[in-house]
Amino acid sequence: MTMASETMNELRKPPATEPRPQGGIRLTEEQLRARRTRSIAIALALGAFVAVIFAVTIVRLGSGALQRPIYMQPAQPTQGTK
Amino acid sequence: MSVTLTRAEPSIAGAGDYIELMKPRVMSLVVFTALVGMLVAPVHIHPVIGFAALLCITVGAGAAGALNMWYDADIDARMARTAGRPIPRGRVTPGEAAGFGFTLAVFSVVALGLLVNLLAAALLAFTIFFYVAIYTVWLKRSTPQNIVIGGAAGALPPMIGWAAASGTLAIEPIVLFLIIFFWTPPHFWALSLYRIGDYARAGVPMLPVVAGEGETRRQIWLYTLLLAPLGVAPWLFGYAGPVYGVAALVLGAGMIVLALRVRRESSSHTACKQLFAFSILYLFLLFAMLLVDRMSGGLLGHLAT
Repeated sequence: MTMASETMNELRKPPATEPRPQGGIRLTEEQLRARRTRSIAIALALGAFVAVIFAVTIVRLGSGALQRPIYMQPAQPTQGTK
Repeated sequence: MSVTLTRAEPSIAGAGDYIELMKPRVMSLVVFTALVGMLVAPVHIHPVIGFAALLCITVGAGAAGALNMWYDADIDARMARTAGRPIPRGRVTPGEAAGFGFTLAVFSVVALGLLVNLLAAALLAFTIFFYVAIYTVWLKRSTPQNIVIGGAAGALPPMIGWAAASGTLAIEPIVLFLIIFFWTPPHFWALSLYRIGDYARAGVPMLPVVAGEGETRRQIWLYTLLLAPLGVAPWLFGYAGPVYGVAALVLGAGMIVLALRVRRESSSHTACKQLFAFSILYLFLLFAMLLVDRMSGGLLGHLAT
């Protein structure tokens, strides 16, 4: 192997890199636990909110809310009458 | 010019800390008085709509509590009674508390307006505004009349409940408002008498700090003399029966006896503690009796027909 080819092989090697620093933030056990309780509370609150909106909608609109036609026929143009 | 960017630490606030921000004990009294206001109204409210209204009032009260804790964090840190609250303890940052409070305040008012009616929503918005802007920001640090005027915020929930049920206001919810309004000074001044060091250290101009213990004891007595007949007023006005009337008389007499003891007591704070504890029982029982009276009246009337 010639000196020139050795140099080329050196150049082809991937550059030596510094070990990549850990990206983002590492949460502590306490922070993870707190986030979990917050997430559960938000999920429960959202679920309760949806349930309340649903119940109030049914009460406000009555059973008719479920009997509406999905598609309503557009009104037929009427012939002018004399 | 250089700008230093600091990375906020991830929050350690759990769900319990946020619940604590909403002052659950205050919230329970608000919910109870609002419920009574709702149920004594002459208009029947559908249980689902009533539940939605109560939920909105509860969340609105919690929002006001969170905003109060956000603004008063500096005072809370200096008082033994409040030093364990989430912000002074470092569990929740002031920014988190403010964001939480503002979000819930807007959310509860809009939801009450859309789900129930606009009058109730307007009253809830006014209550939150009064408690946060008028009481917390302005009056609390500037006048010994802070809890007298600020007491209006705590007295409004029965009116909100009534408005949620009927869509209007009348003299009856105004009497309920007045009962809580005149109940507030004896209740809080009894507490401040035996926590006087706390308030002085925090620089809050409560009446005992500014005018002295003697004047506070005198004013507790005067406000209790106004409160006791007001408690009987629903019976005198004819929208509560004799069962309520007798209960209000007995409870009012209890308040007067304890307020008199507070007035005569000079060195110790035993009577103050007794009055503070009894005042909570007084308000709870008075409203509970109003509810029982209205419910049993309706039942008896139904059986008679």
